[in-house]
Amino acid sequence: MSGPPLDLVGRSGTDPRSASAWGRRQELLTNLRAIRGRAYPRYRGMVREKSWLLFEILLPFLSTAAFVFVYRALKAPEQYVGFVVMGGAMTAFWINVIWMMANQLYWEKSQGNLELYFAAPIHFMSILLGMALGGMVMSTTRAAAVLIIATAIFGVSFDVRDWFLVFAVFLTTLAALYSLGMVLASFFLVWGREAFHLGQFFVEPVYFVSGLNFPVARLGLIGALSVGLIPLATGLDAMRQLVFSGATFPIGTPSPAVELGILVVMAVLATVLARWMLASMQARARRDGRLTVRWQ
Amino acid sequence: MSSAASDSRAAASPRAIEARAVRREYAAKGGPVVALDHVDLDVESGELFGLLGPNGAGKTTLIKILTTLLSPTSGTAKIFGFDVMHDTKRIRRIMNMVAGGEQSGYGILTVREQLWMFSQFYGLPARDGWRRTDALIDRVGMAEKRLARVSTLSTGERQKMNLARGLMNDPWILFLDEPTLGLDVGAARSLRELIVEWQAAVPGRTVLLTTHYMAEADELCDRIAIVDRGRILAIGTPEELKRRVQRESIFRFELDHLDGGPASLADVPGVVNASSAATSDETGDRQTVTVNLVLVDDSALGAVVEALGRKGARILGLQKSEPTLEDVFVELVGRGFGEDEAA
Amino acid sequence: MSAIGEVGVLGERSPSDHRGEGLRSFATAVRLGWQMEANWTDPLLFFIYSVAKPVASALILVVMLQVVGGDASLRYRSFVIIGTALWSVVISGVAGLAWAVLDDRERYRMLKYVYVSPSDFIVVLLGRGVARLGVGAAGAVITLVIGVVALGVPFDPGRVDWPVLLVATGLGLLSIVALGLLMAAVCLQTRQESWSYPDAFAGALYLISGAVFPLAILPGPVQAIGLAMPLTWWIEAFRRALDPANPSSIGGPGSLFQAVTGQVAPGNAEVLIALLATGALVTLAAAGVFRLSSRRAKELGLLDRTTGS
Repeated sequence: MSGPPLDLVGRSGTDPRSASAWGRRQELLTNLRAIRGRAYPRYRGMVREKSWLLFEILLPFLSTAAFVFVYRALKAPEQYVGFVVMGGAMTAFWINVIWMMANQLYWEKSQGNLELYFAAPIHFMSILLGMALGGMVMSTTRAAAVLIIATAIFGVSFDVRDWFLVFAVFLTTLAALYSLGMVLASFFLVWGREAFHLGQFFVEPVYFVSGLNFPVARLGLIGALSVGLIPLATGLDAMRQLVFSGATFPIGTPSPAVELGILVVMAVLATVLARWMLASMQARARRDGRLTVRWQ
Repeated sequence: MSSAASDSRAAASPRAIEARAVRREYAAKGGPVVALDHVDLDVESGELFGLLGPNGAGKTTLIKILTTLLSPTSGTAKIFGFDVMHDTKRIRRIMNMVAGGEQSGYGILTVREQLWMFSQFYGLPARDGWRRTDALIDRVGMAEKRLARVSTLSTGERQKMNLARGLMNDPWILFLDEPTLGLDVGAARSLRELIVEWQAAVPGRTVLLTTHYMAEADELCDRIAIVDRGRILAIGTPEELKRRVQRESIFRFELDHLDGGPASLADVPGVVNASSAATSDETGDRQTVTVNLVLVDDSALGAVVEALGRKGARILGLQKSEPTLEDVFVELVGRGFGEDEAA
Repeated sequence: MSAIGEVGVLGERSPSDHRGEGLRSFATAVRLGWQMEANWTDPLLFFIYSVAKPVASALILVVMLQVVGGDASLRYRSFVIIGTALWSVVISGVAGLAWAVLDDRERYRMLKYVYVSPSDFIVVLLGRGVARLGVGAAGAVITLVIGVVALGVPFDPGRVDWPVLLVATGLGLLSIVALGLLMAAVCLQTRQESWSYPDAFAGALYLISGAVFPLAILPGPVQAIGLAMPLTWWIEAFRRALDPANPSSIGGPGSLFQAVTGQVAPGNAEVLIALLATGALVTLAAAGVFRLSSRRAKELGLLDRTTGS
């Protein structure tokens, strides 16, 4: 094999100790680039293989439509149709968190990527965030499709009181959801095969306690706890109150502003917890030798 | 040199690898399994160091510890003075690793995309990442596969891509865990050439290579540690290790004739022993003389050639007989690679 | 131990030998599938996992009904709980075969070895998928029991039409497996991220199968599609077998069935015949699509690729 010598882009520092002394700026840039790097294969995959347009957009819309028809069969007030549509839109992001982020680590381990990520000079949260952002295109398309198509077909009308607050709640909900996803990912890192099955556990039960298709307040104490603990419940409840502000019956409680505050706290706490848990779980996985054994 | 001076020298230029009493146990139903047992290892900066041993010897376990993927149960290990337990960030910035049979990556990406993605994990700006990716692809001989999907690569091509990934951040120390595993002769040879060339190109680049292919270790490594059942049995250059088995140099001469027979060479300085075996050429017309000479070392060869010249003998062939590293292993352990002790 | 060269030659085999091999392959695949489904945790957690999903799905609908309130909600409670419980079988059955393909191709890298073995590829996949179907069925039974015990679903063993129930269950499960085979054919062609496709597919069928609301609510053309699905007839048969007083999901005012046949609702025999006919069609179609898909996968080298992103 012949060719130009492998004298690559100039090395930083004249010795390994100085080369390894990165400043905060270099560390931050590396992690940001890692986010971009990990999002990249998701994006390329979606462009290259387009079956997700049918299975991630159209079919989930039909599934949401089923719940709309349940309310139609019961001759429920039209706002309830709106509840289902909003719930259907937000599930796209929860599915992304569970299947494309938290559960994904098991795949990464079995493919041998996990050890390469840990051996790289990046924080593992960057990898998780890259996965989430890469899947965000699909999730956002799915959510938008559900909203737009359902609005067009079922005639859902929105009465938005405060657009700024709606977007603030939406974005904070996403931040809280993805931070929670990172917490779950740290469990999945250690629990291995169980995590794949437990990912299923977090779908319908979470939908139920989050009030996917109905005001979560109807669940009484469970609903109250959900609003305090589950970002999906809190965000859905707040957005419904803001988006159906003309409703003649109480949709949710507490007020959207309070729920925004709850979401901010959730996002911050979950981020801090995720950081600590990822470090702890990594240390434990290093101790037990689980980072690299494929079948665990 | 005073100890203070040597300490300061060590701080100024620490060893690439320094392991002391490294032990690694795994929990198992029947009691803990010891994968590494009090391993001490020093690798200097700029060395191409080999860990040679059979399957299950503990080579991969040691590499996993040194690459910060696994914690030692006890003992310490340092990479350029950074502790593998406490300074993982610093180590990960200056090292990389490639394993044989690696299936990492994403099948739906092209080779170019895959490598660029990894460039991002090492903090390269996007354009620099593409430039370096293209340079590495050309250098490892995969230009025609640049846009091929990773899932379509052959084993050899995949391993070249893996090696390119391992070189992406221009590491100060590169860990190679059985890098030629599963490759055909040609692919393995080109990969070895690449490793040697890369390591020699810039002073200070260190490579730790694990292998169970003795010829590979013999060919590539400045020094080798022979590992078996979690222990390092011997460390040295290939020549030093072989000298444990055979201190002298053995040469086999094929001559047209030798007056006085092999005994006539016994007095030549440096000759320890001389014996012969007569052979015929293919037609059976001519008798050649084969003489086996045991010399104290290679430097005695000159005197022997001179003596043969004085006797009018013509040298038709010359072959040096050397022990292999497996001979060394057998000497150390009492069994060959792959033989079970119980058998 | 005999030397490898002394292993006997297999020689000619009769059709009954082939059938025996097929059964053996199937049984082995079922055992393997069960091991993979059930051995990842302790029995209690496994039980919780099997039950949580279908029970939560049923509760979502129960609360939806409560939210609206009124007589309609009480009448429909049994309707939706039975439909949701049965749907857990559908999801499990459809996912079982599809996930077997993805598991074996992406995680265990065994798909190519299964494919080149003498065992019929479909038979092995069916065996692997049956275990998950069993888990779903167990979840369905428990959901129904909870529905009867705690959620007010009426149940009188004396009123159950056991022959209809048994026949419908058998034909329904075969149809579900056929749909699973269809999804497996899709997953042979798609990438690793298609784990969620069986759920999405089952979710779409949810709309048109009368699982949680009568078909009469849907537009006519959509009802026609629903009537062509064996799941619609299976759920109808199951409901009426459990209690003839259960409302029909197929007939009723405004239904396409009533408009075409003049009958308010189909009889038991009609339902079972329709289930058999639609099930047979779906099975034939699924088998054909799967054969095409596996041939295409072989041509394009998809059987041993990994496709993660």
